[in-house]
Amino acid sequence: MSQAAPVPAQRRPITAGRAILLVLIVGVLLVPIPGFRTPQTHNIVIDASQFEFSPARLTVNRGDIVQVTLTASDVVHGFFLDGYGIDFRVEPGTSQEFTFTADRSGKFRYRCSVACGALHPFMIGELVVGPNELVWRASALAAVAVGAMLLHARKRPSA
Amino acid sequence: MTTTRGNRAALVMLAFIVVGVPALIIGYQYGLRPALADHRVVDIEALAPENGGFSPDVVRVEVGETITLRFAADDVTHGIAIGPGLGIDLGHVDPGHVGEVTFTPQEPGTYTYYCNTWCSADHWRMRGVLEVVDPNSPGGVNVQLDPIIEALGAASVDIDSEPEVAEGIFPDRSRGERSLDTVEVPPSLRDPDWRLSHSPAEGLEVLQADNPDTPEDVLVDVVAYLWSETPPTDEISELFARNCAACHGERGRGDGPGAATTLEEPVAYPEVSWHRRGDIWYAKIMRGGMGTDMPNFGTLFTEEETRLLVDYLRYLSFTES
Amino acid sequence: MLLSRAFQPVAMLILLAPFVLAVMAGLLGTSAGNRNFGIVFVWIVWWAVLMVLLVPGLGRVWCTVCPIPAPGEWVQRRGIIGGAGRLRTRGLRWPRRLRNMWLQNAGFLVLALFSMVILTRPSVSAGVFVGLIGVAVGMSLLFEKRTFCRYVCPIGGFIGLYSMAAPVELRVRDAQVCVDHREKDCITGNDRGYGCPWMVYPGKLDRNLDCGLCTECLKTCTMDNVVINLRRPGADLAKPVRGNRIDEAFKALIMLACSIIYPAVLFGPWATVKEWAAIESFGGWLIYAAAFLIATLVVIPGLFWLAVAGGQRSCAGGLTVRRAFNEYSHALIPLGLAAWVTFSVGFALTNGSYALAAISDPFGWGWDVFGTRDVGWTPYLSGAAPTIQAAILIGGLLFSIRTSLRVGLRHDPSGETTLAATAPIAAFLLASTLALLWLYLG
Repeated sequence: MSQAAPVPAQRRPITAGRAILLVLIVGVLLVPIPGFRTPQTHNIVIDASQFEFSPARLTVNRGDIVQVTLTASDVVHGFFLDGYGIDFRVEPGTSQEFTFTADRSGKFRYRCSVACGALHPFMIGELVVGPNELVWRASALAAVAVGAMLLHARKRPSA
Repeated sequence: MTTTRGNRAALVMLAFIVVGVPALIIGYQYGLRPALADHRVVDIEALAPENGGFSPDVVRVEVGETITLRFAADDVTHGIAIGPGLGIDLGHVDPGHVGEVTFTPQEPGTYTYYCNTWCSADHWRMRGVLEVVDPNSPGGVNVQLDPIIEALGAASVDIDSEPEVAEGIFPDRSRGERSLDTVEVPPSLRDPDWRLSHSPAEGLEVLQADNPDTPEDVLVDVVAYLWSETPPTDEISELFARNCAACHGERGRGDGPGAATTLEEPVAYPEVSWHRRGDIWYAKIMRGGMGTDMPNFGTLFTEEETRLLVDYLRYLSFTES
Repeated sequence: MLLSRAFQPVAMLILLAPFVLAVMAGLLGTSAGNRNFGIVFVWIVWWAVLMVLLVPGLGRVWCTVCPIPAPGEWVQRRGIIGGAGRLRTRGLRWPRRLRNMWLQNAGFLVLALFSMVILTRPSVSAGVFVGLIGVAVGMSLLFEKRTFCRYVCPIGGFIGLYSMAAPVELRVRDAQVCVDHREKDCITGNDRGYGCPWMVYPGKLDRNLDCGLCTECLKTCTMDNVVINLRRPGADLAKPVRGNRIDEAFKALIMLACSIIYPAVLFGPWATVKEWAAIESFGGWLIYAAAFLIATLVVIPGLFWLAVAGGQRSCAGGLTVRRAFNEYSHALIPLGLAAWVTFSVGFALTNGSYALAAISDPFGWGWDVFGTRDVGWTPYLSGAAPTIQAAILIGGLLFSIRTSLRVGLRHDPSGETTLAATAPIAAFLLASTLALLWLYLG
């Protein structure tokens, strides 16, 4: 991915700095983040209306059981949850109930899956299943890589 | 440059793209396609009433003429049905889709194509008229009077009277079913027509006369069971969910999302069921509630469907939610 | 093939067909955008192909085939494949003060401020397409050559900017050949092609920014000195910027700012902001527009200016801040491009399935040309998309950091001041990346 260091012809010795960088990157990518709570059950009513879900952001922990009662308050809407393959259609006056286990961590958007008007493609809510490993690892990786590139530039002007 | 010939060919191609393709598309859609069909095809745009409703909103067809109606939804999801008595329900038609039905009407009369999925505050105004005329007796559409509503009129019953709210009474049809064998039920209470024209409260008085020693709460439950004796079918609960639940709520508690938009609060059936005659409910469904925003369904439902709906309202009233 | 006179006009003609279809669908088709060819094929398919494949992979190649300037050029040249020589235009020269990217910056901002409406309403989209063609034709009649493409087209502006990161370039083999060649057919044109319609002198071309890849100079060059090269991506980015190009720096800043605002507004959970952006209430839109313009024109450029100034202050004998602002703005390009790829990948994976239905039923009239009318909406790779997006963003960040280091090393080959000069810029880039990561994944 990074083309930071133009590689000269001869092999470079493995320096302490490079070793530390390697350890850091491996650490950032692989160190396990423990789940820290016993699974809970959430009963959540999600109401869909033009063009929002209420609540628009949900936070649960990995392993939690999420029981959703889905309603619609103006026109027919849908509920598609990224990464979980859940898709329901709901019409005003009726409700849909479903349950799933939040077994994948990260942020997953829920989107209206039945065209409901002009802004339908942007009718989006967010389910965050914590701990949100991906965003923390990605952020740390970005920071480590930037730091390494700057230090590298300081040490050895080239190019 | 030796490009004259190339230019000429390119110009032909340009003309084809800019003029020819659009002309072909429009010609096919509005000329060739209807011409190729062996019967009449009517394109109807379906929009929420605030955006224009159905256009056209009147379609005339002759008895025995095969016709295709194509409903194109453009704003939100609509449910398209035609009634009464034609049994046509296209289900949801989502925006940008076309729902289509081909049929040959046999009975002259005035039918209604309507939206049966809540689509806006004015959803219930979303209706169009399908006139089926008999070419042999044009103008001879016979207006049939509804016997149940006629009887109410003859007896001077006020359909628009305020419903009486039941206090301190908690009827439960499943308890009543279990107690049914322990009480003496007079034949009138077994008669669906009698039950339709009498409220459960009136039924209780008759039952008490025959069972003076039975505790009142047991008799209340038995009446509740008798008045909701007909088990609801999937068709009728679907009919309710489609046409009524948006205001009256999924369980008939008056708490649907449309409730906030109506002139008067939608009735919560459990509150008023005890003192309400079924034929008044029947009339209200058929004719609509005056000044309340309760629409009329007489142009949509058959008499049988409406009677089954009344039974379903009793069922919802007397079942714990 | 590129040497054929017919190449570009035929490519434009071919793409004019879907363009006409898109306009027709916008005017006559269903108002449900997700079922309308005009919306689906322009804002989902074309946009994704442009931002994910064409610009990062081939630079300005869209400008080679873009049908928008075609009618104007054909009217102006009195011919499609090749003009007869006599032009139908007033042939005015573009005012000197406007020979920069400011109009393109402004045009992009205007489109961006209305994008929520344009994106979701087929008729408005069609109006924009027809409007662009109209402006292009009008300008061809008034001004010389492709003045519209070079100085006005709001799309061409950012394509040009980001094409500098692409691994493809049109260049001369040997600049000395051009210097020695007195006739300069590439400027005057000859019987094999037009003089550069983009008003660029290939002999001095060292960046992709202004070259529209129209392939005319490949045809006109009598010395066989013009070539299309594959090169290391981003080769233009560390080159010195000639003259004062604050307009170009602002192009990069506006695009980066928009790449952060768009996912927040379009993909975020804040419905009120979406409604403001869609002009559901005019007052709300005014708030949105003011915030949008302040963020893109004041806040983000201001922060970058501070970063550049801070870097220059801490290294003795640095550049003037204005010069450094120009030079280091190139470091924003890889990250900005990556952010737009991220945005477009997300939108295309989520909504790409609409294309299957729209190609069978382009107008929402119930047609079923290819039997795919009833294919439902299904987001693709919705579980893997965040990981892909994180990888693209981090890749863009590192590419940007590397660019800033190369710019720093060019100004001080000893490397002693590189860290001081670039650290604040690196911080700005990292902060932008973290904002994007948290918007997409957090």
